[in-house]
Amino acid sequence: MKTLATAAALAGLIAALSTGAFAEDSIKVGVLVGYSGISSLSGQQTDAAIKLFQKKYGEAPGGKKIELIRRDTTGPNPEVAKRLVQEAVTRDKARILIGPDFTPNTLAAAPIVTEAKVPTMVIGAATTGIIEKSPYFTRTFFATPQQCKPLAPYAVKNNWKKVYVMVADFAPGHDCEKYYISALTEAGGTVVGNVRIPLSNPEFSAYMQRIKDSKPDALFIFMPLGEPSIGALRAVNDSGLKASGVKILAVGDTTDETYVDAVGDAALGTITTGIYSTQHDSAMNKEFVKDFEALNGKSPRIGWTAISIWDAFRLVYDGLAAQSGSSFDPDKFMAFVHGRSFESPRGPITIDKTTGDIIQNIYIRRTDKIDGVLQNVEIATLPNEGFK
Amino acid sequence: MTSVLTVLFNGVAYGMLLFIMSVGLSVTMGMMNFVNLAQASFSMLGGYVMVAVTQQLGIPFLASLPIAFIVVGIVSLVLERVVFRHFYGTDDLTQVLLTIGLIFMSIAIVTYFWGSTYQQVSVPAWLTGQQDVLGFTLERYRMFLVAVGGALALVLVFGLERTRFGAIVRACVDNNRVARACGLNTDLVFALTFAIGGGLAGLAGALAANLLGIDPNFPLRYLVYLLIVVSVGGMGTISGTLIAGLVLGIGDVACKYYVPELGGFVIYAITVAVMLWRPHGLLGRRA
Repeated sequence: MKTLATAAALAGLIAALSTGAFAEDSIKVGVLVGYSGISSLSGQQTDAAIKLFQKKYGEAPGGKKIELIRRDTTGPNPEVAKRLVQEAVTRDKARILIGPDFTPNTLAAAPIVTEAKVPTMVIGAATTGIIEKSPYFTRTFFATPQQCKPLAPYAVKNNWKKVYVMVADFAPGHDCEKYYISALTEAGGTVVGNVRIPLSNPEFSAYMQRIKDSKPDALFIFMPLGEPSIGALRAVNDSGLKASGVKILAVGDTTDETYVDAVGDAALGTITTGIYSTQHDSAMNKEFVKDFEALNGKSPRIGWTAISIWDAFRLVYDGLAAQSGSSFDPDKFMAFVHGRSFESPRGPITIDKTTGDIIQNIYIRRTDKIDGVLQNVEIATLPNEGFK
Repeated sequence: MTSVLTVLFNGVAYGMLLFIMSVGLSVTMGMMNFVNLAQASFSMLGGYVMVAVTQQLGIPFLASLPIAFIVVGIVSLVLERVVFRHFYGTDDLTQVLLTIGLIFMSIAIVTYFWGSTYQQVSVPAWLTGQQDVLGFTLERYRMFLVAVGGALALVLVFGLERTRFGAIVRACVDNNRVARACGLNTDLVFALTFAIGGGLAGLAGALAANLLGIDPNFPLRYLVYLLIVVSVGGMGTISGTLIAGLVLGIGDVACKYYVPELGGFVIYAITVAVMLWRPHGLLGRRA
């Protein structure tokens, strides 16, 4: 009798093992962002956001303790990113990845995470369509059209019909230029001129003179974070272009909270599109900003990396909680993520059912000074903007 | 016509900025024959000193400029005594590797103390915005740069290059042993020249911060421009650096205005053309 019972128990155990119904008590999550060099700020933001998230929601969603594997992508370096993803997946056995950041890095990761079935949160790459490169990709950042299209109809609606388009001369700039110009023509506006500016460009005065010559109603700017944005906004101000009444429109990177203080008052009045402003008026955001600053201090300010990481963790935690008590299944995780809607500090978000890309509110903001600090104040909301 | 002259003015102002930025390197590399890429780090330090004294000590912007010169001059003097002087006789590659290493160290040090973000740079109201001059609307800060750059060029050419001290520096570089035999204190001459070069870089950083921004990555971003200006101008000549700055500045701005499709390419095209035509630079004299 006793032997029979043991045999039955053993059989049960084997059955359990073979169907993989054993729940692990920990899971490894790779975090691949820039921790050094030009993009070290994104690493700081990432760690700050994770610290707050884990303080609020614990470290073991669905009974699985999160073990973080942090790696430095060092910037847009696909060879480095590819190696890091490979190591994280094969050697460290990471089951979920947050990052890598930047489009070239994300593209390098696609074949590896597809083969290894590792759900991957795209948190720092905006290029259209990259999410379709792997069924295991999902995005909590934004897609270029979400940033670049909305200011075209907005300009026409405000009767700023003649627009000069100024973009940085690299692939994302060319993409943005294409989306903005087609949206502007569709809305009934005209492009009075366009110029592509080299990424390394300390001197804007010639471009400012050209823009003045073509007498536009508005100037649309796409410049990446950092010194190109600072240089462009300062030039627009110092050259007198803004004072002459030309409206300054720009993508949100240009007045990003983490850099806008270095631009100073030259940024005032800039109208931008954005996915997130610390000024966003919701109870959830007020709490988020308060807790974030209490834990991490006021500097560096909260930027889009922090919010993208925050929402990526939201998906990871909810997805793991849904698989509580069973072994981690990447396909079930992706099925759970696809089509999911939730509220983020930035506002409502939906993950697209078929692609895993992001659908979110886009806000039109104006740079104002509030209590002596430059802020992006939301002045209009475009609900549920798609990613194409 | 108005736009032609405005473009010319902006080109001159940019040229002056390039001159101011690279004159420190011109002094150490040109006069002392020492390849000090860390001059770009001295510029960054000058920018941080300016930001620190104006914002934390409330010292006016104009007064912060000589402070940046002196502080960075002293720092470079200390480094010269501790590090650089041991490498005067070595070949170019050793000096390049040493000083590029110092750049990376400076980036890490600055990030540690000031963080990785850009500093908030503000200049007094009378230096911002624009001013009508003889029917042209010109940017005030650019006029200020042209004035400072011009004054600096005069002071350096007549106060450093064409003086007894300038001759002594060249004598010490050209034949150290004979110079010493003639009773010159070559150590002191080198230390002083190095400090002046460092101080000039610091001053440049303080002046440029308003236009170029200040962050830990500053040295790597602008190092190429420094090297271009000095090599186009020719080693060992301050007037050459000035002419190179102006040629490149005006060429860059004019081309960006008239043929924006070529964009930032022109500055490199001019450099290659000059290097092919005169391998020692426009006014270069040393082989």
